[in-house]
Amino acid sequence: MRERLFPGDRIAAYVVLVALGLVTVLPLLYMIVLALQSDAEVQSGDPVLWPEHLEWSNFTRLFEAAPFGRFFVNSFVMAGAITLSHLIFDPLVGYVFAKMDFPGKRIAFVAVLSTLMVPFFVRMLPIYSIFASLGWIDSYQGLIVPFLMDAYGIFLMRQFIRPLPDELIEAARVDGAGEFRIYLRVILPQCKPALAVLGLFTFVFQWNEFLWPLIATSRTEMRTLPIGLTLFNQEYFTQWNLTAAGALILFVPTALFFVITQKFLVEGIALSGLK
Amino acid sequence: MTRRRQALTAWLFLTPAVLFFALLFFLPIGNQLLTGLYDSDGVSFVGFGNFTRAFGDPEVLHSFLITLVYAAGTLVVGTAAGLGLAVILNQALPGRTLFRSVLLIPYLTSVSIVGLLWRNILDPQVGILNRLLEAAGLPGQTWLSTHPLATIVGITVWSGAGYTMVLFLAGLQGIPGLYYEAARIDGAGPWRRFFAITLPLLTPTTLFVSIIGLISTLQQFALPYIVTGGGPGNATSLYAHRLFIVAFNDNDFGYASALSVLLLLVVLTLSLVQLRIGDRANA
Repeated sequence: MRERLFPGDRIAAYVVLVALGLVTVLPLLYMIVLALQSDAEVQSGDPVLWPEHLEWSNFTRLFEAAPFGRFFVNSFVMAGAITLSHLIFDPLVGYVFAKMDFPGKRIAFVAVLSTLMVPFFVRMLPIYSIFASLGWIDSYQGLIVPFLMDAYGIFLMRQFIRPLPDELIEAARVDGAGEFRIYLRVILPQCKPALAVLGLFTFVFQWNEFLWPLIATSRTEMRTLPIGLTLFNQEYFTQWNLTAAGALILFVPTALFFVITQKFLVEGIALSGLK
Repeated sequence: MTRRRQALTAWLFLTPAVLFFALLFFLPIGNQLLTGLYDSDGVSFVGFGNFTRAFGDPEVLHSFLITLVYAAGTLVVGTAAGLGLAVILNQALPGRTLFRSVLLIPYLTSVSIVGLLWRNILDPQVGILNRLLEAAGLPGQTWLSTHPLATIVGITVWSGAGYTMVLFLAGLQGIPGLYYEAARIDGAGPWRRFFAITLPLLTPTTLFVSIIGLISTLQQFALPYIVTGGGPGNATSLYAHRLFIVAFNDNDFGYASALSVLLLLVVLTLSLVQLRIGDRANA
C-alpha cells in the first residue's frame, strides 16, 4: 500500500501539484502564443496573452529569413543516423556481454562502463582536431560519428537480454543456426520493448544535442536546429515571435515523444536510468 | 560449441564497439592527457606548466568558484524539489500519471528552447513577466542582471526537477508499505513518518541523485551560453564556458586540454565515490 503524506488532505497535495504543473506548462504555452503574435504586438510593450489574430505567416517568414528547412533536415539526419546506429550496435554488444563467455569479457565490460564517467569535454578537443584534419567539420559524418553507440544503451540492452532463457539459444544452436543468425532471429525479436525505449530516447537526446553540433559546424547550411535557432535569435533578436515559431518546430519531436510514450514514460526512464 | 569458437565469435561481434571506443574515447582521452603537457603551439613541451597556470589564473579560478556555487545551489534546490514532488506523486492520487508526465516535459525539451524561452520571459523590456507585473502595477524585475547565477540555478531546476522526481519515485517503490503501517499503529504522524522512514531509507537514492546531478552541473555549458552568454561581465561564465573560450576563442588547445583533464579528475573522483556508495548499498 502506498504512503499518504497528507492523510485526509488531498487538497493541499493538489494545490502544490497544480501550481507546479502551471509553472511547468505556462512558459511552454506562452511559447505558442508568442509564435503567433504580430510584430506590432511583440513590440507593443503590452502583455499579450492571446494575439489579436493568429499570425501563421510567422512560419513562412521564418523559413524565408533563415534556412530552417535545412536545419530541420540536418537535425533529422544526425539524430536519425545516430539512433539507427544505436539500434544496430547497442543490442549486439549488450547480447555479447549478457550471454557469451570469453577471455577478456570482464575487462572489456569495465572499459565500456568506464566511458560513462568521461565528460564530453574531455574527448571533444581531440576529436575536433582529428575531424578538422580529416575535413569532417561541416559534414554529416562529423556530426554523427562521435555518438555511434554508448555505454548507456549497451548497459540497458545487456540488462534486458540477461534474463532471457538460455534454452532459446541452445535450441537454435542444436538446430544448426549460426551465431549471428541466433542473435538476429532469436534474441533481437525478444528485445522490441527495450529497443523502443532505446530508440525514442536516443532520438530525442540527439535531436536536442547542443555542444557538439555548435563546434562541429560553422557553415549556416550545416547547422542543426538547436544551433540554427540560437544563432537566428542573436541576429533577429527583436523578432521574438519568429524565434518562438522556430522553437515550436524544434519542440515537435518532444511533443510526439510524449504522445507516443504516455503510458510507459516514467517507468521507462526509471528503468533505463538514462541521463 | 568450443570455448575457442565462442571467444572468437564474441570478439568478432565486439569488433565495431572495440574500434569505436578505442578511437573515439580512449585515444582522445590519451591524447588529451598528452596535449595538456604542451604549449598552445602544440610543439613546445611545458610539462605541468598548463596545470600550474590554471591554479594561478583568476578567470579560471572565478569560473571554478561560480561553478561550485551553481552546482551546490542546483543540488540543494533541485533535490528538494524532486523529492517533494516524488513524495506527493507516490500517493494514490487520481491524475498522478498526467502530473508525472507534465512535470517531465522540460527535461526532454531542447536546451535551446528552455534557454531562449526564459531569456524572453525574463527580459526587462520585452519579457512577458515584466509586462504582466507592470500591467498589475508592480515594479519590474531585472533578475538576469541583479541575480544572474541564482536565475540560472532556477532555470536548471525548472528543467531538471521532473527527472529527479522520477529517480526518487523509483527509490520510493523500494520502501515496504509495512513500515508505514507499523509506524502508523505506533501513532507516528505524516511528518514523523517522512523523517523516520522515507528519508533514511531513501539515502542511497539521494546520494545517487546528488552525484549524477553534481557531475552534470559541473559540465554545464549550454544553458548559460544561451541565456546570458556568460554575463553580465563573467558572472555566469561557468568552468565549461571558460574551457570553451580558451579552446575556441583563444585557440589555446594545450591549456584547454589541461583544463579538461582537471574536469575529468573531478568527475572521476565523484563517479568513484558513487560506485563505492553503490557497492555499500548493495552489500
